[in-house]
Amino acid sequence: MNLGLTACMKREVRRWGTRKMYFFGMVFVPVLTAIFFLSLLSPGLPLKVPTAVVDLDHSEMSRGITRSLNATELLDISQKEESYDDALAAVRRGDVFGFFVIPDNFEKDVLAGRTPTLEYYSNMTYFVPGTLSFKGFKTIAVTTAGGVMKTTLVSLGADASQVGALMQPVVIQNHGIGNPWMSYSIYLSPSFAINTFLLMVMLMTVFSITIEIKEGTSPQWLATAKNRIVVAVTGKLLPQTVVYVSVGLFIMWLLFGYSHFPVNGSLGWLIVAMVLTVIAGQAFGLFICSVVPNPRLAFSLTALFSILSFSFTGFSFPVQSMYGAIAIFSYLAPIRYFFLIYINEGLNGVPLYYSRYWFAALLVFPLVACTLLRRLKKACLDPVYVP
Amino acid sequence: MKLFKGIIKWLGDTGKVFRREFNISIRDAGLLLFFLALPVAYPVVYTIIYNPEVVRKLPVAVVDESHSAASRDLARKMSACPSIQVYAYPANMADAKALMASTEVFGVLRIPSDYARKIERGEQATLPFYADMSLLLRYRAFVSALTDLQMELSSELTATKVMDSPLATLAAGREMGLPVKSESHFLGDTEQGFASFVIPGIVILILQQSMILGITLLGGTSRERRRRNGGIDPEAIPGASVSATVWGKALCYVVFYLPGTIYITHWIPEMFNLPHYGSPVDYLLFIFPMLLGTAFLGLFLNVFMKERESAFILIVFTSVIFLFLSGLTWPRYAMNDFWTWCGNLVPAIWGVEGFIRINSNAATLGETQTPYIALWILSLVYMLGAYWTTAYLNVKSQKLKVKG
Repeated sequence: MNLGLTACMKREVRRWGTRKMYFFGMVFVPVLTAIFFLSLLSPGLPLKVPTAVVDLDHSEMSRGITRSLNATELLDISQKEESYDDALAAVRRGDVFGFFVIPDNFEKDVLAGRTPTLEYYSNMTYFVPGTLSFKGFKTIAVTTAGGVMKTTLVSLGADASQVGALMQPVVIQNHGIGNPWMSYSIYLSPSFAINTFLLMVMLMTVFSITIEIKEGTSPQWLATAKNRIVVAVTGKLLPQTVVYVSVGLFIMWLLFGYSHFPVNGSLGWLIVAMVLTVIAGQAFGLFICSVVPNPRLAFSLTALFSILSFSFTGFSFPVQSMYGAIAIFSYLAPIRYFFLIYINEGLNGVPLYYSRYWFAALLVFPLVACTLLRRLKKACLDPVYVP
Repeated sequence: MKLFKGIIKWLGDTGKVFRREFNISIRDAGLLLFFLALPVAYPVVYTIIYNPEVVRKLPVAVVDESHSAASRDLARKMSACPSIQVYAYPANMADAKALMASTEVFGVLRIPSDYARKIERGEQATLPFYADMSLLLRYRAFVSALTDLQMELSSELTATKVMDSPLATLAAGREMGLPVKSESHFLGDTEQGFASFVIPGIVILILQQSMILGITLLGGTSRERRRRNGGIDPEAIPGASVSATVWGKALCYVVFYLPGTIYITHWIPEMFNLPHYGSPVDYLLFIFPMLLGTAFLGLFLNVFMKERESAFILIVFTSVIFLFLSGLTWPRYAMNDFWTWCGNLVPAIWGVEGFIRINSNAATLGETQTPYIALWILSLVYMLGAYWTTAYLNVKSQKLKVKG
């Protein structure tokens, strides 16, 4: 029996040739953004934060501190300022992200036991350099204090070997599971690259459907499918799925093959998740087109939602800490489930059992999209273009 | 006299283009969504997303293999950290792993069986902490809480140890705290909140991206009108020069955006209690060339907009790229030259940098001169780009007319 499925698929593939936009949106942008993230974040951690030191003491001890500040991999003492005000101005000019102040008479006060204070300032308007400079400063301030104390105790007659344990009786060792290097790329690239890919999947799905309505070719599209909307939609979207899955596999290879990102669980399930996410993304676009079958609203809704999804799916700020009314939205975005599966399969390597709900959720998207196909059919038979 | 007439005509044409573009804009509901609704709603939505600011009470598990007074004291101290909540005391590491896998806890502290003995003997005790790495924000909260905990424990234990040891007599008369104190200060975002850090940057990106989307939407629509009308856009002002057309349109967009800009740069930080220290004169003067540059950039990009829908496919994804190029997530000094230069070409990248400094660090316009000058240079460059696009499209339509 000829359902018109093959004819529909052939028709769709031929349409791709009519506009450069198909290749641009379906292949070029997803691959380009994946390469962008991997290239931009390739150092892993932004070390050597530009910072300043304000040495008001000019003593041997203060010069020693400056040297140790410069020696940490976190900091780069790019400027020496004469006063607090100068250093603050350097922060405002954006030359440095923080500064360390050694007070005058520092050495004298230390030797006399008058406990002077080292002060350090971190500019938190840029989160990452602010945090890293804070960490670097704090380490040096603490080790300076420790070093002075050690010298004092040894000079008082303590056994040098005991002093270490005496000063730091407890050490808490941090083990970052799956990303011991604290690499920003491992943390950000997969979620942002795949979500940009998904954004394009949704937009191109909307484009390929609504353009038929806009150009008035939708009755012809349905006719090719013998007026069966399920066949028409499958014939249109299936060839795209093949392209998207190939692009998705290439991005996965860039991430987990070329860049050696950890896969502590199963790469197979991660690939299954990617395929299901692509289909969920197409279903999302299809659903929007069925709800509002005109290019303007369908495009706008999809774009507005997808861009927000970068934030409310909690790539950087945890969903658990968001307000409930916002957190709900995160579960409407297919990328949320891919993200959770990636954490389980990629970073943490926990059994599939813990990802069961996320896989199931991805399967719900196509089912929901099917419910409104009748509405889309009606709109296709009588296409009205609202600019 | 001829020059004078030329100027008058130019001004007249610019005014006509301005009015025509304004009328087209307010009649286009799809466009108003980007020109009005988006800049008004998005900053609010983003702030609400990030408004909880900091992560608190992160659930962790403690595997106490020591079962001692010292280990219980440690667990109590850990519970007292504002960012940590001891959620469970699993019997062994296998149980703790299961809690991690089901994301009931995001960290596990193991207190080894020899903990109390080591403390007693004055040896160094090591406590492994296993952290979930799915979000660096969480990891950071753990690290800073644990560092404080470690320092608190250490100074407490050290003080008692020194007093109990023969060193006490030697140290008599001396204060046995740390011989050097240290104090940390946070500039700009003093609360270290997430919204306070990210919103001032994001709102500037919203200004640019919504404006470019709107302009390219209009550009694509105009191209469609041209095609339908044999190469002539019926809405174009006949006889207006390229420069009058470009300036008329650009000024129209800038004027359209003035109220939104005041709302975004002034009212959003005020309403949500975000850092807001700079002087309005400074940041409004600063942001002006960004609006102008963005308007020209949008007109330049119209060369790629063959139809109305092009804008969505060609522009929307760039928001993600620009967010990263702006240095909000990954600092600009750590980028390679290629990406730094790509960022240098985008008005909002300079806009974000300068606005954050004025808004959050109370910098003056003079202190932000590098981004300010860069914005004027970009405006000039994209103005020429906009001229080129406009001239090119005119020539192309004439060809279309001849053919048609």
